[in-house]
Amino acid sequence: MSVSASPVPTEPPRLHPIAARQARRTRLPDGGVDIDRLLALVSETYTETDIDRRRTDRANRLMAEELEAALSRSALQNLRFKAALDNMNQGLALFDAAGLLVLTNQRFLDIYGLHDARPGLTLAQILASSPCLLLATPIEHRRLITEYRAVASACGARIEQCWPDGRTITIERTRLADGGDLYTVADVTAARTASAQIAHLARHDALTNLPNRTLLHERLAEIVRNARRGDRCAMLGLDLDRFKLVNDTLGHPVGDALLVAVAERLVKLVRPHDVIARLGGDEFSILIQHVTSDEAVEQLCQRIIDTLTQPFEIAGHHIQIGASIGVAMVEVDALDPDTLLRDADLALYRAKRSGRGNYRFYTPDMHAFATRRRQLEIELRRALKSNELRVHYQPQVDIATHTVIGFEALVRWYHPERGIIPPGDFIGVCEEIGLIGTVGELVLTQACRDAALWPDSIKIAVNLSALQFKSGTLPAMVARALAASGLDPTRLELEITEGAMLEDTSSVIEQLQQLKQQGVLISLDDFGTGYSSLSHIRNFPFDRVKIDQSFVRDLGTNSDSLAIVRAVTGLCSSLGITSIAEGVETLDQLNILIAEKCDSAQGYYYSRPVPLAETLPFVARMLAVKNKAA
Amino acid sequence: MWSKRIDGSDASATFPATPDLVIVFGPTSRMTDQPLIEQLTSRCGNAIVIGCSSGTMVDGDGLDDDAVVALGVGFERTRLTLAVQPLPSADTSFAAGLAIGKELADDSLSAIFVLSNGLNVNGSALVAGIRSGAGDSVALSGGLAGDGARFGDTRILAGGDCLTNAVAAIGFYGTHVRLAHGSAGEWQPFGPVRTISAADGAELRRLDDEPALALYERYVGEEAADLPASGLLYPLEIWDPAKPDDRVVRTLLAIDRDHGTLTFAGDMPQGWKARLMRGIFDELIDGASTAAQHAIDRTASWGVAPSACLAISCVGRRLLMGQRTDEEIAAVSAVLGSDIALAGFYSYGEIAPQNATGVPCLHNQTMTITLIGECA
Repeated sequence: MSVSASPVPTEPPRLHPIAARQARRTRLPDGGVDIDRLLALVSETYTETDIDRRRTDRANRLMAEELEAALSRSALQNLRFKAALDNMNQGLALFDAAGLLVLTNQRFLDIYGLHDARPGLTLAQILASSPCLLLATPIEHRRLITEYRAVASACGARIEQCWPDGRTITIERTRLADGGDLYTVADVTAARTASAQIAHLARHDALTNLPNRTLLHERLAEIVRNARRGDRCAMLGLDLDRFKLVNDTLGHPVGDALLVAVAERLVKLVRPHDVIARLGGDEFSILIQHVTSDEAVEQLCQRIIDTLTQPFEIAGHHIQIGASIGVAMVEVDALDPDTLLRDADLALYRAKRSGRGNYRFYTPDMHAFATRRRQLEIELRRALKSNELRVHYQPQVDIATHTVIGFEALVRWYHPERGIIPPGDFIGVCEEIGLIGTVGELVLTQACRDAALWPDSIKIAVNLSALQFKSGTLPAMVARALAASGLDPTRLELEITEGAMLEDTSSVIEQLQQLKQQGVLISLDDFGTGYSSLSHIRNFPFDRVKIDQSFVRDLGTNSDSLAIVRAVTGLCSSLGITSIAEGVETLDQLNILIAEKCDSAQGYYYSRPVPLAETLPFVARMLAVKNKAA
Repeated sequence: MWSKRIDGSDASATFPATPDLVIVFGPTSRMTDQPLIEQLTSRCGNAIVIGCSSGTMVDGDGLDDDAVVALGVGFERTRLTLAVQPLPSADTSFAAGLAIGKELADDSLSAIFVLSNGLNVNGSALVAGIRSGAGDSVALSGGLAGDGARFGDTRILAGGDCLTNAVAAIGFYGTHVRLAHGSAGEWQPFGPVRTISAADGAELRRLDDEPALALYERYVGEEAADLPASGLLYPLEIWDPAKPDDRVVRTLLAIDRDHGTLTFAGDMPQGWKARLMRGIFDELIDGASTAAQHAIDRTASWGVAPSACLAISCVGRRLLMGQRTDEEIAAVSAVLGSDIALAGFYSYGEIAPQNATGVPCLHNQTMTITLIGECA
C-alpha cells in the first residue's frame, strides 16, 4: 500500500483580531516580523486575559458569596418572621389581590382546626374545609361565611362570631396597598367567658348563686319598663328564724350550707320567671310576677314556711329552722322598686314581731308605725343625753313578815311632751337600735348607787335584757357599777328572762356564773310565760324564781293559774329556791300566795314603783305596820 | 471645512491648507518637549493650537501610547476664540470655568470644546462654572488631560505653551458650525445595592455603615494593592433613590488609608444609592459604538457630513481592556466611516452633553464623541 501526497492549497491563516493587530504592529519595513516585539505583545495578551479571568472569577465568587449571605439573611429573616407569626395570639391569613391565599400562620390553622392551608386556595375553600365550622347547620355555615366575607375592609373594623363549637371568634380584615387582604382572627372565648362570669358575679350571690340585690333591682326596673295595666306583682321579704343560732352553735360552714339548702328549696317553689334574691345573711327577697290573687300569694307564703320548717340534714346535724315572710303587693304600672322593697321589709318586721313562722301582708299602718318608731329612736337618743331616763323602785315584801326585803328597779322616761313613758313602750326599741347596753348600764349604775343608801337588809333587783349578754362584757359592767356605788354584791339581784337562756346558752351560763362568783344574786324572771323549761332551772343555780304577773292576776278566777303558781312554788321549795310573785294587786291574791307558800311578793297591793325619795319612807311605813300587827 | 489628522512629531507631515484650529494630543513627555512643540506650532500658521497630555492617543482607528496626534481643521464660515485660565487647585475649578465661560460668551457662541488639567481639578465644578459663564444653551464637550496609569503630570497646550494647572477652551461662533455629541459607558453594575451612609463632597466615607475603603478593597481583591490606579477598573454607579432612572458613574481618584475613605471624580451625595461596577470587554466596546452612533444620529439634520471627530475615552477603559482597547476605537471608526478625521485621547474625565437631556456634564468611564461640521 502506498500513500501519495497531493498538494494542499495554502491560504493565509484567519487571525484573531488581536493577533492581526499584533501582526500589523510588529511588521518590519522590510516585510518581516519583529519576533521579540510580537512575542511581547502575545505574552501581554495572555497576561491581560489571565487578569481578566481572575477579575471575572473574583466577581463571580463575590457575587456567589453575596448571594449566599443574602439568601442566608433572607432564610433567617423568614424563620424569624415565621416564628413571630406562629407565636402570635391572633390567627393571620394573607390573600393576594386575586383573593388567593398567600400565607397563614399556625394560629390561624389552629383556630380553624386545619392541618394546613395551601397557598392559592380561596377564602371560601379554606372556610369550607374547617371542621370547626362544619359542625354548623348548612344555613348557619353559610351565614358564618357570608359574615366573614362581609367584614368591612376599613382599618380596625371587625366582627365577632359565635361558632357552633361554642367558641367566640373575632375577625378583622385589613385591605392592603397591593389590593390583597389581611385577615386577623382571634379566639376571645376565654375573655368573653371571663366577662360573662364577672357580669354574673356582679349580679349573683356567690354562696347560693341566687340573684343579688343588683339583679333584683334590674329585674324590677325591667318590670317597670314593660309594665302592663292590671298586672300585679308581689315582693316577699323572707328571714330565716333561728338562723343565727345555727351559725353561732354549729359554725359558719354549716350556716352557709344551710343557706344553700334553703335556696335550693325556695327555687323549687316558684316559677321560672319569678326572682329569688339573697340580699345578705339570712335575708331573701322573692319577686313574684303576674300575681292572679292575694290567695295565691298567701298559699305560696304558707308553702314556703312549711317547706323551710321541714328539718334540714347538714353535715350530720339535724337542723330545724323556720321562716317569717313580709309581703308587699303592687300594681306593676305603679311600681316603685324602693317602696316595694321597703313595704315588704315592714311587713316582715311585723311578721317577726308577731311571733315567728308566719307571714304578714303590708298595710299602710305599718308604715305609720315605722314612722313613729323612727321618731321614737330619735327622741330616745336625745333622752339619754338630757337625762330624761330615771329609775323608779317597786318594793318587794316578805309575805310572812311583811318586811320590805328589796326593791325592783324600773326605768321611766320622763318625756318633756308625753309625760312618763313606761319601759314596755321603749325598751324594745332600745334593744332593736342597739341602745340597750347604754340604757342597761345607766339603770344598773343608778340603782346600785341608790341602793347603797338603803339599809343593808334591803336588796335591789335590776332587770337584764337578753341582748346585754351578747357582748360578753356584762360581768365587767356589773363590777364597775358595784365598785362605783360601794354596794355589797350580795344586795344586788339581777333578773333574767328565760329568753336570755335560749340563745348561746353556754355563753350566758358562763357570764351568770362569773356574776355569781362576784356574789351577785340571779333570779329567773317571768317564769311560766315562755318555755318554762325545767332544764333552765336545773342548768343554773338561780337564787330566786319570779312568778309572772299574768298568773298572779288570774288567781282566784282561773284554776290553771293557781295550778301553775302551785307548781312553781312547790318546785322552788323542793329545790331550795325562793319564789316571788309579781303583779299582786289584791288581798285575795296575796292570801292565795300565802296559802301556796310563796316567799315574797310585789305589786300595786303594796306600792306602785316610786322615786328614790319615797323608798325609805315606804320601808318605815311597812315597819310600822309590822310592829302594829305584832 | 476640512479636517486632517497628522503625526505631529513628523516634521514632514503637513495639512492641506492653513488650518484655523489644531488640536494636539500626546504623552506628557512629548508635550513637554519644547522643541517638538515649537516645531509643530510653527507649521500651523495662525491657527489656534490647543491640546493636552494623555497616556494613550486615538490615532485614526487605532491607538498609540507614544504618538503626537495633531488634528488640523479649517473653517470657512466659523469664528474661533481661545480662552485660557489658570486652575491651580481643585477648589478653583468653578471660578476657572466661570472665567472661561464669560470670556467666550457671545451672542454668536455656538459651542465650546474644553481641555483641562487632569489632576487637582473638580470636573463637575468646572463644567458648572463654564455653563454659568457662557449660558446653559451652549453645547459643551471636552475632557481632562491624562497621564496613563501614572497620575503624575498632566499638561495643557495652549497658544504654544505647555501649561500645568490650566484650563483652555475653544469657542465656536456663528450659525454654520455644527457639533454633535454622544457618550456611553456600558459598565455593568454588580453586587448588592448599597447606601452612601457618610460622605462629604467627593469623599465617600461609609457605605451601608461600613468603612468605604474596606468594602471597596474586598471587592477589588488583589488589585487593592494598586489603588487608587486599579480603582479606575471599578467605578461606582450612584443615583438618587427618588430618581432611580437617572444614574451617574463615578471614577475613583484617590484613597485615604488612614481614614478609610475614597475620593471620586464628582460629588457622592449622602443618602444616594451606590453599586460597584465592572467592565466587561464586549459591553464596553459596544458602549463605544453606541456613543458614536448616538452622535452620528444627531448629524442627520445638518445637511452635510461631519468632518472631524474628537473621541475622548476614559483611561479606566484603557487600563481595563489593555490591547483590546483598540477594539472600541475600531468600533467607533466603523460607525463613523473613513471620511471623518478621527483623533482623541484617554482622559481623566470626559465632558459631553448627556444623551437623554443634552445637559453638559462630567462623565466618568465613558467614551464621548464630539463630531464637528460646518454647513454652507
